[in-house]
Amino acid sequence: MRRQSAILVGIALIPALLGLAVFRVYPIALAVFESFFTTLRGKRLFVSLENYWFLVTDSGFWDSLWITLWFNLIINPLQVALALLLAIMFLQKVPFIGIFRFLFLIPIGVSLPVAVIIWRIVLLPEGLINGLLGTVGIEPLRFLTSADFALYSIIAIATWKGISYWMIFIIAGIQNIAPEIHEAARLEGASAWQRLCLITIPLLKPTLLFVLIADVTINFLLFAPIFMLTNGGPRGSTNVLMYEAYKSGFVFGDMGRAMAIIVILVLILLVVVALQFRLLSDSRPGLAKT
Amino acid sequence: MTQLRKVLGACAIAAVSTTGVAKAETTLTIQMLEGLDRMAMEAVAAAYMEDNPGTTVEIQALPWGQFFQVTELRLKSGDEDIDIVYTDAPLIASYAANGYIQKLGDDIASEAEAALVEAAVLAGSFENELFALPMNSSAQVMFYNKDLLEAAGIALPDGLAPGSTASAADIEALGTSGRWTWRQVTDAAKAVTKSEGGRTSVWGFAFEQFGELYQLQPLGTSLGSKIISDNAMTASGYFDGDAWTEAANWWSALFNEMEVSPRALAFGEGTQLFTNGQLAMFVGGTWNIFGIADSGINFGIAPHPQFAQGEAVTPTGSWFLGISSASQNAEAALDFARYATLSEKGTAVWFENQNQLPTTLHLLDKIDSDAAFDTFPGNVMRLSAWESRNTAEVRPLTVAYGQLQDAFRTAFVDIANGTSVGEALATAVDAYDEAARRLNR
Repeated sequence: MRRQSAILVGIALIPALLGLAVFRVYPIALAVFESFFTTLRGKRLFVSLENYWFLVTDSGFWDSLWITLWFNLIINPLQVALALLLAIMFLQKVPFIGIFRFLFLIPIGVSLPVAVIIWRIVLLPEGLINGLLGTVGIEPLRFLTSADFALYSIIAIATWKGISYWMIFIIAGIQNIAPEIHEAARLEGASAWQRLCLITIPLLKPTLLFVLIADVTINFLLFAPIFMLTNGGPRGSTNVLMYEAYKSGFVFGDMGRAMAIIVILVLILLVVVALQFRLLSDSRPGLAKT
Repeated sequence: MTQLRKVLGACAIAAVSTTGVAKAETTLTIQMLEGLDRMAMEAVAAAYMEDNPGTTVEIQALPWGQFFQVTELRLKSGDEDIDIVYTDAPLIASYAANGYIQKLGDDIASEAEAALVEAAVLAGSFENELFALPMNSSAQVMFYNKDLLEAAGIALPDGLAPGSTASAADIEALGTSGRWTWRQVTDAAKAVTKSEGGRTSVWGFAFEQFGELYQLQPLGTSLGSKIISDNAMTASGYFDGDAWTEAANWWSALFNEMEVSPRALAFGEGTQLFTNGQLAMFVGGTWNIFGIADSGINFGIAPHPQFAQGEAVTPTGSWFLGISSASQNAEAALDFARYATLSEKGTAVWFENQNQLPTTLHLLDKIDSDAAFDTFPGNVMRLSAWESRNTAEVRPLTVAYGQLQDAFRTAFVDIANGTSVGEALATAVDAYDEAARRLNR
């Protein structure tokens, strides 16, 4: 009986494992393999770690690395915090909440390229936002062509697009918290703020951990808005590693360098995710510390 | 997919041969740039197919923004569906070095030497072997809107305009002493530019190709410095040297101090602003003449400006045809390339449709001596031919040209957007030097 169920489990897992092998393990293995080669004058050469060695002394790579880290340091906490806020708002029982819920859900239905095009129009010097700013006498701001704003404009667009999606996971998490706990806390005289900080958030930790890790993975690999809006500029201010790798491989035909960058990006991502697991799953969800 | 296509192709041929049709059709595919270039190539292809009924020439065109990247990928992957590839001159070295395009052989090389100007043969060669044949060269002139300049009280530059005639001697005089300085250009541009509350309705001046190396190389070279060293190993001491810093400062002032030039222009937008009467002057290619003449704008054409303290330098070089190494129809492809670039008929069709400076000695002689080129717009072509002999500066030859072009564009676009000149040029030098180091290891 037990053996039979083990076989059944095995069979059930095959599609998932196959998918994992084909879409995850194989590309990563290919990237690692290709990063040891380069093409010079039409000849493919094995150069072992030379592609990596070149990156160490390549200021363009380091600039791009810092931008990637800074970008993620801002966007991930921001998105998770806003998604949590939205989820809490979503569950409030107030008049017209239906309209709000509908509005929150719109970004999920819009594909990323479409969202990017819409925001591009909105953020143009003669676009909607600058038009509104103009009515109160503010000169047009160059949201996408100024090195001071561009990265944050990208963060804003990606956040607008992303948070409603993460909100849904958090809503599910919140609804999983037994209402009796809140009820008991309310009877004990806990304020709404106390219930949020001491009950909802601690009990949401597993959900938040999932959202954070999935969000980090997506944002480290974010590409479309940068490709469509800024091409890494102005002044390299949005040149994240994904874009640098893309340019190396597909614009300049330098696949060896592109693959080396991708391997480094995957390694960084693994380290970051491992750290998050450690930091967030070690501490057991504690209840009110009185 | 390719396999399937081959099998289907074989079946089709078998089917055709059993029904008694002996000659198999050859289909040639050309990877082209979208726009005027595609239309001109369609005209050449139509003329060719008339003379060669067994051959079908198909044109696949891509817009400027995707052209280089997609072409590079298709060639790199050995895509058999491209026979002939339209190639910007500076990329020939890289395509040849990477084995993307074929050597054309000694027969064609000697035929080309006899028919073409030497510079064009050199530009199509890599390590002394001919790899590509030139469709044309190019020249840049300054278009000006007479009404806008006169309304601002500016004396018009010496130039050629609809209705004008110019002998070879007049052109010589125009090229040597009729050229505006950049100072004159910016003074006029300031007088013309109209803006209100941060929005500009009439711009003074623009370059057609915003931030591009081809377009802007004359700025620094006219002040005495190349972009990279002769051995192509470094841009340090060149692109970040005094001459280029001065040139870049002037460029920066167009956008950040004088505010006479629009900050970003996609390909074709400059011409559009000009034909709408929203731009008083722009430096652009001779290919714009017909479109502008049709627009009804009262315009003239002056020679490419120069810095008063520098010498006259103008852009040159243009597009070539290469035969893909993966082509299954190399012989037929070569025949078409010869027709389009060397034959009297093929080059004439291209010239009529494209209005770009030719590279065949035959057409250049005609431009110099034929009275038909005394009148406008033929005399503009005569001016272009004069520039190509006297002021034209070819773009740098380097296997890292793609990276150089990108670094150059990034630097000049960033400078227009307010980045400091020193920082932008230093970044570009680093980017190029790193690429040169990698590709020359």
